Amino acid sequence: MLNKLKDPSEKTLGILLLTPAFILLALIVVYPIGKLISNSFFDLRLSGGSGVFKFVGLENYAEVWKDKDFWNAAKNTVLITLITVPGALVVGLGLAMLANLPFKRKWPVRLALLLPWALPLSFAGLIFAWFFHTEYGVVNDVMRRLAGSESTMWLLRPNWAFTAICATIIWKTSSFMALILLAGLQMIPKSLYEAAEVDGASKLQQFWQITIPMLMPSIIVALIFRTITALQTFDIPYTMTKGGPGNSTETLAMLIHKTTIEYLDVGYGSTLAVCMFLLSMCVTAFYLKRIGRSA
Amino acid sequence: MTAAVHEGMWSSPRLRFVAAAMVVINGFFPAVWILFTSLKSEVELVQKPITWWPHNPTMQNYVQAFTDQPLLKYLGNSLMVALLATVLSLLVSACAAYAIARLNLKHRQLILTAIVASSMFPLVTLLVPIFETMRTLGLLNSYTALVLPYIVLNLPVCTLVLVSFFQSIPRDLENAAMIDGCTRIGTLWRVVIPLAAPGVFTAGILAFVNSWDEFLLALSLNSSPAFRTLPVGITLYQGEFSFPWPIISAALIVAIVPIAVLIAFFQERVVGGLTQGGLKG
Repeated sequence: MLNKLKDPSEKTLGILLLTPAFILLALIVVYPIGKLISNSFFDLRLSGGSGVFKFVGLENYAEVWKDKDFWNAAKNTVLITLITVPGALVVGLGLAMLANLPFKRKWPVRLALLLPWALPLSFAGLIFAWFFHTEYGVVNDVMRRLAGSESTMWLLRPNWAFTAICATIIWKTSSFMALILLAGLQMIPKSLYEAAEVDGASKLQQFWQITIPMLMPSIIVALIFRTITALQTFDIPYTMTKGGPGNSTETLAMLIHKTTIEYLDVGYGSTLAVCMFLLSMCVTAFYLKRIGRSA
Repeated sequence: MTAAVHEGMWSSPRLRFVAAAMVVINGFFPAVWILFTSLKSEVELVQKPITWWPHNPTMQNYVQAFTDQPLLKYLGNSLMVALLATVLSLLVSACAAYAIARLNLKHRQLILTAIVASSMFPLVTLLVPIFETMRTLGLLNSYTALVLPYIVLNLPVCTLVLVSFFQSIPRDLENAAMIDGCTRIGTLWRVVIPLAAPGVFTAGILAFVNSWDEFLLALSLNSSPAFRTLPVGITLYQGEFSFPWPIISAALIVAIVPIAVLIAFFQERVVGGLTQGGLKG
């Protein structure tokens, strides 16, 4: 027995080595998903003394369907995804192409791409909330100096707040896009461009005919992961506006957090989470299908 | 690797400098602006039009950043949680990655896919049951409450990075060690792990940054000051009606420096690891 433990067979060793990972996945992912789904059928509130625990069937789901806050948050979440994912892709591609130029010293550019990536989202939210400050923010200062425009109340008006949040998310996430795309750019053989040059292709033609198609695998990887995280947007709106003014910038993640952690309404919060999960599954499936078709 | 560059207009050194400057300003401006703000006095802050460069730099905000909130405690908590999560993530994912990369198992690809796909589940949706479970177990406000989910959070990236590193180690080296009488676990410990050290290191940095940055779980599970982490703590300087921006800025600078130093030292490793198993937004 001891001998067997000292030098186990491949299969035993394999199972032994994979066990910790699977125990953790079961504890933190699989079990919670089951718990989540079952909770969504209960009126389960932890607030006030003993709390409430009652089976209500599909009542929570019916309530979600009628819940204006849910649809508002869903709309905001989808809008943020639709705006910031392509936005970060375009900005990231620009940054990657600039960073791909043959510089003598590479580290300043590389560090400039790494710093926004490593910065916690919540810090980015705080920093940009200060940028967009109505009275003393640098954004309004620059706009006044350049265009002489009046101060915009960035975070106090629904549409401006939404714009400011999207801009912040794009700034924060585009550097990660740029790093992925930069690695992709460096894999494109230089000879392709030389051949195109000989054939008299313009720079623009080279960009659309060589760079973009060759970069497609990196673009797809970056898009998938960015979309998944965009649907979970929480930190940046939370630190910039707390969802305000009103609930004009509240995302699904923020609504779920508010319902469960602040109001301790676990049953309804779970139902919201199931709906959010279904929404993100739809988006992911849509992506995979489109990618499958284009690949 | 030669960079595929179209020369043309960018062949001029001056334009190349402009290109570099654009990227550098985009990346550094927010941090630099926060640094400037952190050095301004309250009087200077409310001058109109606003000043860019601080005219009378003061360190007062840094002093207050440490006294208004237990910033040092938050730093310590973040460091503790991130280090524990990093070490444990590496341990768990190194075991899994070795099994996937090296052992003759059925369904290896399926196992890897399952581990990576687990990162597709939105953490927010798992927040509710994780919160409930931790509450039942009495683990709210503890390091464990964050470390356990963070290991899972890091598992996909770390496993991907380590699998590709293990696969790059020649099998002959292992076979030679085993022929010389080394047990399988001995080989893993004496041959494979040392050779995979760069990969372990890369995965470690990614795991550390991931854990250091996490906000939602830290906010929800550890609300008591004794266990609050830095990203959450820093949002608390703002009062109901007051936003002491210079003090917030000073706290932000204190919080940014460690992570900035870390990535500055290990840039190439981080970029390599990110593009290999990059999963973080």
